Parts: sequence; C-alpha cells; structure tokens
Amino acid sequence: MRTRMSPAVTAGLLRRNEFYLLLVIVVFSLAITIVNPAFLTVENMFDLIRSSAGMAILAVGFFVVLLSGGIDISFPAVAIVAQYITVNAIIALGVDNLWLAFAISSAIGIAFGAVNAFFISFFKVPTFIVTLGTMNIFHGAMLEFVGTKAINAGQLPNCFKGFGLADILSLHRADGSTYGLSVFFLVLVGVILVTWVILKYTVLGRVIYAMGGNMEAVKRSGFNIRRTQFFIYCYVGLLASIMGIIHVSLIRYSNATYIIDSELLHVIAAVILGGASILGGSGTLTGTLLGVVMISILEKNLVLLGLSSYWQQFFVGLMIVLGVSITHIQKRIQNRRSLALTRE
Amino acid sequence: MNTKLSNNLTLFCIFIVVTGIMSVFLPTQFMTLRNFTSMGLQFPEYGLLALANMLAMITGGIDLSVVSIASLSGVISASFLSQYATLGMPVGTVIVVGILIALAVSLLCGLLNGVIIAYARVPAIIATLGTQGLFLGISIIITKGHGIGGFPPAFLFIGNGSVLGMPTQFVIFVVVALLVGLMLTRTPQGFSMLMYGSSPQVARFSGINNEMILIKTYVLTGLLSGVASLVIISGVNSIRPGYGADYLLLSILIAILGGTDPVGGFGTVLGLTLAIFIMQALQSGLNILSFSPFMKKFIWGLLLLLVMVFHYYRRLYAQRRTVRRSAAQKEALTGQSV
Amino acid sequence: MADVFLEVRRVSKAYEGVQALNEVSLSIGAGEVHCLVGENGSGKSTLIKCIGGVVTPDSGQIVINGRVHEHLQAIDAIREGIQIIYQDLSLYPNVTVAENISLNQFVERRASFVNWAEVRAIAARGLAEIEEDIDLDSLVQNLSVAKRQVVAITRSLTQGAKLIIMDEPTSAITRQDVDHLFSVIARLKQKGISTLFISHKLSEVFEIAEVVTILRDGKAVGDFPASELDDQKLTFLMTGRNIQYTPYRFPREKQQQAPLLEVRNLSRRGHFHNVSFSLWAGEILGLTGLIGSGRTELALALFGLNPPDSGEILLGGKPVRIRSSEDAVRLGIGYLPEDRLTQGLFISQSIGDNIVITVLKKLLGFLRLLDPGRMRKTEEGWLDDLKIKAPSVRVRAWSLSGGNQQRVVLAKWLATKPKVFILDGPTIGIDVASKSNIHEIIRALAEQGIAIVVISDEIPEILHSCNRVLVMREGRLEKEVPDAAAVGEAEMLSLVSGKLEHGVARS
Repeated sequence: MRTRMSPAVTAGLLRRNEFYLLLVIVVFSLAITIVNPAFLTVENMFDLIRSSAGMAILAVGFFVVLLSGGIDISFPAVAIVAQYITVNAIIALGVDNLWLAFAISSAIGIAFGAVNAFFISFFKVPTFIVTLGTMNIFHGAMLEFVGTKAINAGQLPNCFKGFGLADILSLHRADGSTYGLSVFFLVLVGVILVTWVILKYTVLGRVIYAMGGNMEAVKRSGFNIRRTQFFIYCYVGLLASIMGIIHVSLIRYSNATYIIDSELLHVIAAVILGGASILGGSGTLTGTLLGVVMISILEKNLVLLGLSSYWQQFFVGLMIVLGVSITHIQKRIQNRRSLALTRE
Repeated sequence: MNTKLSNNLTLFCIFIVVTGIMSVFLPTQFMTLRNFTSMGLQFPEYGLLALANMLAMITGGIDLSVVSIASLSGVISASFLSQYATLGMPVGTVIVVGILIALAVSLLCGLLNGVIIAYARVPAIIATLGTQGLFLGISIIITKGHGIGGFPPAFLFIGNGSVLGMPTQFVIFVVVALLVGLMLTRTPQGFSMLMYGSSPQVARFSGINNEMILIKTYVLTGLLSGVASLVIISGVNSIRPGYGADYLLLSILIAILGGTDPVGGFGTVLGLTLAIFIMQALQSGLNILSFSPFMKKFIWGLLLLLVMVFHYYRRLYAQRRTVRRSAAQKEALTGQSV
Repeated sequence: MADVFLEVRRVSKAYEGVQALNEVSLSIGAGEVHCLVGENGSGKSTLIKCIGGVVTPDSGQIVINGRVHEHLQAIDAIREGIQIIYQDLSLYPNVTVAENISLNQFVERRASFVNWAEVRAIAARGLAEIEEDIDLDSLVQNLSVAKRQVVAITRSLTQGAKLIIMDEPTSAITRQDVDHLFSVIARLKQKGISTLFISHKLSEVFEIAEVVTILRDGKAVGDFPASELDDQKLTFLMTGRNIQYTPYRFPREKQQQAPLLEVRNLSRRGHFHNVSFSLWAGEILGLTGLIGSGRTELALALFGLNPPDSGEILLGGKPVRIRSSEDAVRLGIGYLPEDRLTQGLFISQSIGDNIVITVLKKLLGFLRLLDPGRMRKTEEGWLDDLKIKAPSVRVRAWSLSGGNQQRVVLAKWLATKPKVFILDGPTIGIDVASKSNIHEIIRALAEQGIAIVVISDEIPEILHSCNRVLVMREGRLEKEVPDAAAVGEAEMLSLVSGKLEHGVARS
C-alpha cells in the first residue's frame, strides 16, 4: 500500500492521514463501548463486517475511479439494476445457482461500465455528467422495461439466501446458537487483493495513478488512455454488480425502486475520509477501508450517542464537507511557500 | 455574440419543432389553454432551480444542493407558517415573515456553500455533494421524516393564484429570470462572474476578487432555491423533505441544454428559458401520453448525454472551420498544442 | 562530431494558410550540442515536432542514422533514439522519481506487470550514468524544477536516447540550475548523446552550444558554429535587421522631487529579501536578473498577489497595504503579466470584454447598470488608440496575433489610468515590428507621468528603453544602475549573470 507523501516527510507514522483516522476510529470505538459494552465483541465485529462488506466493495471501486481523476455516481444504480435483473432472471430461468447469478450480474455491471467509458472517452464528456445521465438511463430503463415488483424473502431463490447465511467461521454463543464470519468477508478480501495487485503491480494500475497526476503527460507518452478508461469504468461496474448480489443476499429483499442514494453518499464520504484526493492521483486502499470502517461505525452507532437515525443524512454530509475541507486546507498550508500563482 | 445568437436560435427552432410535433400528434390535448396553464404552473418550480445551476455553471462550478436547500428552507418556513393560527400575529405578518424566513435560510445555506468553495478551495461538486446531505439531513431531523402542511390560505396565492390572468408562479419566474438576466448582462457582478468562469487565474490577474464572486454566486443560487421552495410549498400546501429529488437532474439538464457551458464562462437566461420551454413541452407531451416517471428518468438521462455529444461535434466542426489558422499561430507562439 | 546522427532535408509544413516551415534543412552530429534559435513564430516548435514524429511534414525527409523516413511516426522516432522533453517536462507529480524514470519503458514493452526491483534498478542506473543523485522514492511534486529536469532527462536516457530535444529548458530555473543543466548536457555529450536545445536566451546559447541553427519566419537561415557568432550577428540573423534603439532619458532633476512609489525592506521568505528602492513618476525602471532572482515575485508583491511578510510600501508618501489584486487596482497599480495567454487574456472571450473588465465600475449608467454605449465607446477607443488590428471588438481574443493580443492586455490596463504600471516581459513572443511599437507606447506613457517598471530578460531591451536598472539575484537587490545609457551590453550581461565563463568545458 503506497503512501502519498515522500518518505522524507513520512519519517514517522504520525504524518500519515491513515494513522489519524485509525486513532479516531479507536477513540470512537472506545467511547461507544463505554455506552454499550456489547460493541467491542467478536460477534458485533462479525456483524459489522457482514453488513458493511458491500459498501466496502463499492468504496474500492469508487476509489479506483477517483484515482484516475474521474467521478462515477452511477455505481449505486448499476448495483441495484444488476441485482434486480439477476434475481428476476434466476427466478425466470429456474436455475438456482449462485455462480450463474454472479455471471449474469457481472455481465450487466461490465456492460454498464462500458457505456460510461464510451461517452467519457469518445465524446470527452465530463465524467460527472456522463454518470449522472447513465444513472438515470440505467435505472429508468430497468424500472420501465423490467418492472417494479419487489421480490421478498419468500420468492428469493435459495442460492442468494444461502449465500447470505454462509459463514466461513462459526462460533458458539452461551446458549448454543451460532454466529459467524460471513463469506462476504472472503469476497471483500478477494476484491481488495485483486485491486491492490492491479494498482501496485500492473502497468495499467500505474497508468491510473499517472492519469490522476498529469493527464497531458499520459497522452504524450503513448499510453492507450481509451483502453484504460474502459477498464476503470467496467471494473467499477463489476464491483457494483458484486455488491448488488451481496446486498440482496444480506437483506433478502430486492426492491427495484430503491436507489441506493444514501449508499452513494456513504461511499463517497468513506473514500474521502480515507484521504483520497478528489482531484485524483493520490490515496490508499488502506485509507479507503479505514474510511469505510469509520462510516459504518458511525452509521450503526449514532443512536448510542444520543442522536436519532434522522441525524444520519446530516452526519454523512458533515463528514464529506469536513473531510474535504481539512484535506484542502492542509494542502494550502503546504503550498504557502510557493508562489501565489499556483493558487487557482 | 455570434455563438450566443446561433445557440438561442437553435433552441428556438427546437422549441417550435417540439411544440409542433406535440400539436400534430396530440391535437386535442396539447394545444389547449388548460394544458398551457398547467405547463405554466409546473415549470417555475424547477425552472428556478435551473436558473440556480446555470449561475453555478457559469462560474465553472455546479450546485448539487439546490433541491436540499429548497427542502430545508421550505421545511423551516413551513414549520412557522403552519402555526399561523396560534401565533397571535395578523395573518399578513405571518406570511411575510414566513417568506423572509425561507429566503434567509436559503441565503445562509448558499453562504455556507460559497465559503467552503471560496475559502477552503473545495471543488464545487464535492462541496455541494456534502452540503446537500447536510441540508437534507437537517430537514429530516426537524420533520422526523413527516410532512408539514396547513398554511394560511392567503399564502397559497403564490402557488395557486393568478396575476393579470397568468399563474402567480409564472409571473414570479418571469420577474426573477429577468432580474437574473439583467444581472448577468448589465452589472459588474454578472460580467465578472462570466469572466471568472472563463479563467479564474486571469480574473485574479485582472483585479477581480475571486472569493467574492464565488460567494455571491452561491448565495444567489441559494436564494433562487429559496424562492423555489416558496413556490413549491404554496403550490401543494405542504412540504416533505426530499421533495423534488428529480429536479436536480432536470436543473442540470436544462442548464446545459440552454447553452450553459459546464466548464464556465458562457450562459444566457434566454437560452435557459427556451430550454425550459422545450423541456416543459416534452414533459407535458410525455404526461399526456401517460409515460411513466421511470420512462421520463430514462429520457432525461438520455437527453443529457445526447446534448453533450451534440456539443462535442459542434465544437469539433467550429474548430475545424475557423480555428486552424489561429491554432497554428498560437502553436507557433507558445510551442504547445492547442 | 564526424558522424551525422540526424539530418532534416527540406522539410515544409503548412497549417491552413500559415507556412510554419519552408524547406528547412539542418543536421546534427553524434554527441553534438546543437541549439535552435528563432523568434517566436519562427517555426521552432513545429520543427521539433517533425523531428519527433509528432507532426508529419508536408514534404521533405527526416534522416536518422542514415535511414530515410518519409512519414516519420512518433513511435519510430522513439525507437531511433529521439526523445523530446517538453517545457512542462511531462512528469507525473504524484508518483516517485523511480517510477517516473522507468514507467514508460514498461509501457513500450507492452508489459502487463511492473517489477519494482527493475524499476528501481533502471532508475538508479540511469541516474548513475549522468552522475546524478536523487532520492528514488521522492515524489516528483516535492522536487525543485532543476531536479525535475534531471528526472526528465534520465527518463529519456533510459529509453535509449541518442538525441534529446529540450524545449526551452532554461526558462524557469535559476542560474545555478542552468549551470547544473549544462554540466549534465556535457556528460551526455561525453556519452555520445546529442542534445538539441531550443532557447531564446542568447547568452546561454553562446555558453553551451557548439552549433546554432537559426530559424526566421519558417525558413532556416543556416547552421553556424557558435564560435562564428556574436550577439549582434545572431540578433541580426534572427530578426533580419539591426535594431537601433535610442536610450530613454529621464531628467535628473525630477529625482529631487518625492518619489511616487517607495519600497522599504520588503521581504517574503523564499522569494525575496530586504528589497528597497524608489520609483519616480515618468521613469522607466528596468528590473532584471535571471529567473529565480525574485523579480516576478517582487512585482507580484506590488500587485497584491504575493503579499510580503515584512517591509513597507509607500505610495505618494503614504504607507499602503496591498493584499489582493483588487487593492492594487484601486491604488492605481497595474500589472501586465508574463504569460498573456494564461494570465493576461480571457482567451475565449471577446476583445472588448477583455478590455473593459478592469474598469466596469467606471462604465455605469442608468440605475447603476453597465451602459453598453459607454462600454462600446471605450472598447473601440482603445482599439483605435493602440492600433489593434481586428475586424471588431466582438472578435474572440484567440484569433489575434501575439502582438495584437499584447495590445489588448495593454489596453485593459491603460483603461484604469494607472499611476504605476509594471510590465513583465512585455515583448516576449512578439514580432519585431510590434516590439518597437510597444516600446514607443511605453515611452509615451512615461512621458505622460506614469511610473513604469519593465521586467525583462533581454539586455538590449533593458538598456535602451529604461533610464535606470535594478539587478536582482537570488532574491536580493544586487545592484542599481542609475544611468542605463552609460552602461554597455557586455557589462550589463556580466552584472546579471555573475560570471562569464563558457559552458561546455566546465563540468
């Protein structure tokens, strides 16, 4: 996992944003545990992992896009569309197979990602506007042409239910019942590993960093930018589709009209808190994951701090605003030494 | 000037075409006074928000929080207005105070946006993404998710009455649009906004106070959202947080369709208004044809992309036609590719 | 220098109506340090793009190592060992030195995976070859411009460069760094690698180049061994005429009155230190020194964009605080920026809009709204006064020539009726005729009583348009030349550069 400051400056762990974030998480966790001792238990941790694995996967995808200097807001729509279509397809085909489900949803996710990449690379449309458009196209089209009937637990094929219940590690409680570490964790670890390898060890990954750093230079060096952009947006699409399957397996309910709007903000907040730069080119996977942990803990435990669930939206917005402001102000302090010209 | 004129002419033609098609295919339903009145009632709500985003885009930014600001100012104002029976003030005062509250809240929201963008140097897209959560969140906290209703009947005049035979909101929109247009073309502020959007760095070198420009821009977008909220709550005599979530896409789409360059520096109120008319005609047509809201989402998204693709080709041909010579000159001068 | 590495044979290139290159020929030997000079607009940029295969010439051949190329592609040029380092260096700021140096190779090989050990090895080897030492793990954004240049050169080296083309490498670095760069070029020469160096700084040309190719209006005037040239001959060949200036005289008695602007002990950490000087109305004060000397930083401090940490500025005897460009304009200080394209003009807006942006508040009419009539009068007035060649005020700024663009920027500032007018590099990239025209305008302004500061690199320009010169070095005011007319060019040059040794022999 690479750092975003030169080693000379990174003399101590103290300089790294991730360290501070970890500190805040630890302090927070301790505070919560005081109010609710059940927080810092293995069971609760397993539960946290199970419920936030999906968001973490989305965050990894968004992080990759951000690194390249772009912004993709269509990924929640991709997730829900891939999920809904896949569930309906599985029911219609009568083949209760999880691998088939993943195959279908991945195909959808990648296809949608390709559409995004198409408009971004061929018509030079700003990434935000493209994904704003496609978000509505995907979701609107699906609701219109596939339908809006929600699928409840009773109708949900077993492969999903089984997936949601599967644990890779089982422990017993005092009364004999079991709880476990969800297999989602495995999927998450897989995604993290693959992404890490790509970002650090492949030329493609390094080009993504380069694009976020100096797009002009990338063009001059003869990199195939188009291909890279297709990869980036298809990858996000793929990850979103994976999250879609995880999500339906978790809550055992597929609601087509549920546009995971709040999920969008949570993911963006997590990635920003994790220290990734909105302008692209810097950030770490570690930071992103820590950001997800922070947001998840906040999400679940706001009530413990005496705040009703109505405060959630507010808090997430606050996180984004604070997170970005602090990063930017930090940069300005660093830049004070150089000429004012560089300000704009 | 040339581009602006050709832009607006194109839009006007599109408007005629769309209206023409609608009239031909739906003769009995489209070209009726009732339909036009109903159109006049609908568009001010999102038209004001589109004006707001036009201003934000002119300075090279975007305001994703317009709907949330409308939500918040609507909610706070509604909380006050709905108590009109128990406040012990004459109804007229209540209404006036209610209006002022909405405007004050929206102004403050816009100010927050402006400060974050101007002083913390956060890109507008992220800043307003965050603040929209903030504002919406506050309105949810206040209302606990419920709606608020029951305003003084006189207040409803804004949303339901008519002035000189035209719906009040329509008149409000026209007045506001004219004021904004005047500001953009005839005040130093507006002029500076356009220039700033062209190049913040050059603006800095020209004695323009960049921070003030940004703050004023976002205060204005906030205020416009505030006016929109008044139109909204008086229209349906209630408010629910999260109302008008679709309006965000619409406001961006209309701004871009109306010729505003998302990169900054160009935009006209006339173009925006024509774009609103086009969109409203389209909406009406789709409604009459009983298109579902999902289909509309799909179409708006598609339209947004198509407009951008159209702009891409237009820029390409414009460059090819006139710029070669100057590009060569510029290239020779600066040693950089244009 | 017996072997010829690169030969350009009668290359021509036109862009819709503009003949950028007209039958240009030149040749570069192996291990040769070759300089390409010419005024802006002479075709230098287009020529290097042809050599690098980025642009295809309309006719002519590029011959590399004896192999003739009719339609050279960028990838071929790279394979043949031609590397172009653009002015912005094309580095990735957010990534380490090692990666910046080595990544391109992996792309070239169409490799999928990155072997970090190899990345470091390649980078380390490259740096060692030119005897440079930079921390491989530093992020490029934390490096000085000089170090970044070394990184860019090393990158070219590791890609098997036999000819490294540098586009204006010395325009943004300090004197020390220029020396450093020249020593790197010397090491490259020892390895048999040729360097093609674009510059418009004549003094540097003489320091380092062995052969000089001069371009004028798209035609090659010729290849000359540097030893055969001197300043005057070079200027003559570049511009086609001998420029005669008459020095500007400022009556000594005027200095008995109070100065209009006084700067006392102005400092800003890292930019300039303890600078003090006075400026009288009607003077043309030259401010010079190599880039990095702090002159632009100082000028911007007077314009509010680079506020000082300590010291005083007095206008008309009264101390003032200039913390923003808005303050500066209000106080009557104008600044013509170095880079008119990215700092001076709203390039996509009309000329008229560009002119009035600084004086909007003065053009108000009914109801305090902008008065279109007055605006148009002002715009057209300036078009006339400064003889800006354009069909109308509504034309976009990008369609004008350099000289006319500069006049628009001048108009914009003159409209504010400044008391103090600072011009930073006013004639860079401008054709000769416009140059002298602009000098006339500046002189006329001084005669009207405006206090003028001209920042320039070109010694002749300084000596002949200013009456007094301040020389800066490394942030300090090194020397004041009270009477410019009394000093010769050679002496001025030595004052500015500090030393007079010649380049290649020095390591």
